[in-house]
Amino acid sequence: MSSEPSILCAGVGKAFQLYAHQNDQLKQILFGLWKKFYKDKWVLHDVNFTVEKGERVGIVGRNGAGKTTLLQILCGITQPTKGDFRVAGRIAPILALGSGFDGLLTGRENARIGAAILGLSRKEVDACIDDIAAFADIGSFFEQPMRTYSMGMIARVAFAICAYAKADVLIVDEALSVGDEIFQRKCERFIADFAKTGTILMVSHDLNFLAALCDRVLWLEGGVVREVGDPKKVIADYRRAMLAEEDQASGVA
Amino acid sequence: MLASIPPAYVAPFERAWRNRELIRAVVRREFISRFRGSALGPLWAVISPLFMLLTYTALFSLTVPQLSAGMSVTDYASSIFIGLIAFNLFSELAYRAPMLLHEHVNFVKKSIFPSETIAWTATIRAFTYAGVAFAVYIVFRLLTAGTLPLTIVLTPLLVVPFFLFILGVVWFLMALGAFTRDVAHIMASIVPVLMFATPIFYRLDQIAAMSGSMALWLRLNIVGDYIEMLRSVALDGTLPNIFGYLALVAISYAVFIGGYQFFMRYKSVIVDVI
Repeated sequence: MSSEPSILCAGVGKAFQLYAHQNDQLKQILFGLWKKFYKDKWVLHDVNFTVEKGERVGIVGRNGAGKTTLLQILCGITQPTKGDFRVAGRIAPILALGSGFDGLLTGRENARIGAAILGLSRKEVDACIDDIAAFADIGSFFEQPMRTYSMGMIARVAFAICAYAKADVLIVDEALSVGDEIFQRKCERFIADFAKTGTILMVSHDLNFLAALCDRVLWLEGGVVREVGDPKKVIADYRRAMLAEEDQASGVA
Repeated sequence: MLASIPPAYVAPFERAWRNRELIRAVVRREFISRFRGSALGPLWAVISPLFMLLTYTALFSLTVPQLSAGMSVTDYASSIFIGLIAFNLFSELAYRAPMLLHEHVNFVKKSIFPSETIAWTATIRAFTYAGVAFAVYIVFRLLTAGTLPLTIVLTPLLVVPFFLFILGVVWFLMALGAFTRDVAHIMASIVPVLMFATPIFYRLDQIAAMSGSMALWLRLNIVGDYIEMLRSVALDGTLPNIFGYLALVAISYAVFIGGYQFFMRYKSVIVDVI
C-alpha cells in the first residue's frame, strides 16, 4: 500500500469564459489567437487540500460556492484554469441524477451503458449486472423504460452502478437525499464499507448526514477553502455563519 | 515514458480502442432506442433504401433520359443508388454532427463520458445503415443484371478511408457546432447544394465531356470521388486510378487526424460553453 494521497488539489482555480454575445464564442474559436472575446469569471480561486486513501470527506458550502465545479474538475470533466490536481485510481462519480440515462431504455440497459462509461468491460458488466439490480432493489421497474422512474428510483440505479464499478474513488454530488429511508441506510452502509478500500468525496446539504458519515469536512466558500477538519467543528462553524447571515438579512429587511 | 503517449497519427485509434466497450454499448443503445416502439423495427433499414431506389429509378430514368447517357434503366438506377448511399451517409452526419454535443449534453457535462466517442458511435451507426442499403444494392443488382463485378470485393478498401474521412468531418463539425448553432443552419443550406455538386445523378466523365474545368472543380469534392470509385468497383467492374486512390486515402487520413486534433484541442472548452 502506498502512502500517496488519493486526491490531491494544489492551487486549483477555475475561470469560466463569460461571453457577452452568443456569437462571440465562435469568434473566439476563429480569431482567439489575436483577440480575447470573453471575460473571465472565476468560480474557484485557490483550492488546496489532500484526501488520504480510505478517507470519507464531505464538502459543504452555499449555492455557487464552487462545489460542483470542483467535483467536475476532479472527475476530469472540465479542466482547471490553473493549479494541479491528481486523483489516484478509477473514479466513480454520481454527479447529477439521471445524467447519462436514456429515458427510452430500461434500467438494465442504462446500467450497462453507465458501467461501460465507468470503464467496465462487457464481461465485468455481465458478471455484476444482477448484483446491480439487487442493490438498486426496484423490482420489475428495472426492466421498464427509465422515463417511468421516480427520482428516487433513478438515484438507486445510479448509485447501484457506482457501487459495483470497482472504483477507487467515489464522488457523490448531492444525489442520495432523494432516496427513501431504507435506501439511504443502505447507502450509508455501503459508504462505510467502501471506505475500507476506497476514498469518498461527497457534497451534501444534509449536514447531519455528513456529520455522521465523514471523517473530515471541507467548507468551500467563494471559491476557496474556508475551513477543513473535524466534521462537528466545521459543520457547527458553517451553521453559525449561515445563521448569522440570515439574521443580518432579516435585520436589513 | 514515451510509450504512454501514442504518436498523433494513431492517437484517435488508441483512444477508441480504450473506449471500445463504451462505443459498443452506445451503438447498441442507439439501435435499440431507434427501433423500439416501431412495428417493423430493423426492417425499416431495408425498406427506406429500397423505397428510395425505386423512386429515383422511376423518376430519373423516365424523365431525364440524357442523364442516363445510354445506360440501361437498371444500370442507371444502380449508379444513382450507389451515389445516394454514400451521399446520404455524408449528409445525415453533416446535418447531425453540429447538434451531436447538444444532444448529449448530459453525458458530456455530468458524467465522465469521453465525448470524442460520440463521433465514433454516430459514424458507426450511419455506416451500418449504409451497409444495409449496400446489401439491398447487391440483391437488386443480382436480380436485375444477374451478376456482380468481381472488383466488388475491393469495396472495403474504399469504405475504410471513407469512414475515416467522415469521422474527421464529424469531429470538426461537432466541435464547431458546440460553439454556435449557426453551423447547423449553415450545413442545412450547404448540403442540398453540395448534392448537385456531387456526381449522384450524373457521372464525372459526362461533365468532363461537356466542360473540363468544371469536372476538375468537382473532383475537389471528396465525397464525389468516393462515389465515382465505388461505382467503378461495385458496378462497372473497373479499377480506379491507383494514384487517385492513394491521394484520396492520404487526404481522408489528414482530415481524420485534423478533425480529431481540432476536437481534442477544444474539448475542455466545449464543456464550459455548451
